Amino acid sequence: MAKKRLIFTLLYKNGNYMLSRNFRLQKVGNLEWLNKHYNFQNIAFSIDELIVLNVEDPEKRDLVEFSKDLRSLSKFCFIPIAVGGGINSMDDANLLLHSGADKLVLNTAFYSNKKLIKELIQHYGKQNIVSSIDFKRLDGENIVLVNNGLTRIEFSLKEHIDSVCELGAGEIYLNSIDKDGTGQGYELDIFDEVTLNLNTSLICAGGAGKYEHFLEGINKSYIDGVATANLFNFLGNGLQKSREFLIDNKVNMAKWHNRLEHELKNILRINNE
Amino acid sequence: MLVSIVDYGMGNILSITNALEYLGVDVILTYKETELRNSDKIILPGVGSFRVAMQNLKERKLDVILNELVMKEHKDILGICLGMQLFASGSDEDGFSEGLGWFSSVVKNMSDKLDDNVKVPHIGFESIETTKKSILYKDIRNHSDFYFVHSFSMENIYDEITSTYNIGNTSIVASIEKDNIFGVQFHPEKSQDNGLRLLKNFLQK
Repeated sequence: MAKKRLIFTLLYKNGNYMLSRNFRLQKVGNLEWLNKHYNFQNIAFSIDELIVLNVEDPEKRDLVEFSKDLRSLSKFCFIPIAVGGGINSMDDANLLLHSGADKLVLNTAFYSNKKLIKELIQHYGKQNIVSSIDFKRLDGENIVLVNNGLTRIEFSLKEHIDSVCELGAGEIYLNSIDKDGTGQGYELDIFDEVTLNLNTSLICAGGAGKYEHFLEGINKSYIDGVATANLFNFLGNGLQKSREFLIDNKVNMAKWHNRLEHELKNILRINNE
Repeated sequence: MLVSIVDYGMGNILSITNALEYLGVDVILTYKETELRNSDKIILPGVGSFRVAMQNLKERKLDVILNELVMKEHKDILGICLGMQLFASGSDEDGFSEGLGWFSSVVKNMSDKLDDNVKVPHIGFESIETTKKSILYKDIRNHSDFYFVHSFSMENIYDEITSTYNIGNTSIVASIEKDNIFGVQFHPEKSQDNGLRLLKNFLQK
C-alpha cells in the first residue's frame, strides 16, 4: 500500500498567506514571511505533499498573480504540489499546471460545473484531479458548503462524496469547517461515518493542532494523508518533528535523507566546469 | 549540458525543469527537431490521458522525430510516468490507442489485476525493489521511496524491467530500460533527494 502522507496546506489570498479559523481568514504574511519562518527548502523534506489553495473572493481572484507565487514556491519543492481555488476553465488549469501545480484541486465545480470536471479528467487523467469538500455539522446533519464555505448545497455529505467519486475524482480532500483552525483535532467521528468504505484516496483536513492529531488521523485505515493549514502550530521545525513522531510511532511513511539534497545542488554544473 | 523536455502540452513541465536546473543543467522545452537533436538528453514527461498524449505527439510529428532520434540515432531518453507508458505498443486507456512501440508492452488499467478494495488511482510514495542492475539506481539504496500517481501500468513486459513495487501481492512495473531508453513510472522530480539522484544518474550516463 502507498505510504501515509503528511501534507501542508497553504491558503493564499492576494499575495499573502492566511490563517483560517472556521473559515474566517486572518492575514499572516507574504512569501518572504513564509520563507523566513518556514524555510521552504527544509520544510519540503518534512512533508510528502504541498497543497496551495487560493481562497480569495471569487470576483477578486487573480490567477496570473497567484501563479507567480506558485512558481516561486515550487522552485525548490521536490514533492507533489496540488493547487486549487478559482479553476473555472481549461485555460485556468493549464496556467496552474505550467506554474508548478502537479494536481488540481476543485471544490465548487464538482457541484456546479461537472462539464469542466469531466473535461479535466479526460485531458489530465483522474489521478490529477482532487475534489475538495468543505463540510460542517448542522442540526445533526453533515452538510456541504461550496463557494469558500458560503453556499450550502442540497446534498448531504455522504451523497456529495458519492457524486464526486462517480464523476471521477482521483482523490478527496475532506475539510471540517467546524474544526478548521481550532487545533482541537480532526473530526474523525464524521470521517468514520462517511468515508469508511471509500475506494478513493482520502486526505483529512481541519483541526490538527499537535503531533498526536496527525497520528490519530493517519492510523485510520481509510485515511491516506493528514493535512494541516495551521501556520502557527507547526512553525519552524514543527513539521519535521511531526514527521519524526509519526515514524517513531510506526507509521509507514516515506524516508529520505534530509541533507543529501544540498550536495546535489548544481552538481552537474560543477562537474562541467 | 543541455537537456530538452519534449513539449507536447501534457501536464506539469515546471517541476521537472526545476529539478533539472537544480542539478545545474540547461533546460529547453521544445518540440522542434533541430533543438531536440542538438540537446544531450531528452526527457519525455507526461501526465494525463494516453490517447490525448499520442494525439498531441502526432500533431507535432513528434512520434516520427522521436523515433528517428531515439531508435536510429540512439539519443538517451527518459520517459516519466505517462511519458514512459508512451514507449509501449499501445494502451487500453479510453479505448485502444497505439503508442510509440519501442517496447512490446501494453498499458492496462491496474484495477483489472488488483483486489476491489485497492484504491485506484494509486497515489503516494512507494518503496521500489530493483530487479536488475541499472545505471539509474547508482548510489540509491534498494527499497528507496519514490512518488507514484497512476491508474495504468505497463503489462506484458519482462526482460526490460529494472524495478517494481508491490500493491498487496501484485507486482507493478516501476522502471524499464533498453539500451538508450529509460522509463520510470514514478516521478523523480517529486521524490525528494532519491529522485534528484536518479535524474543525476540519467544525465551523467
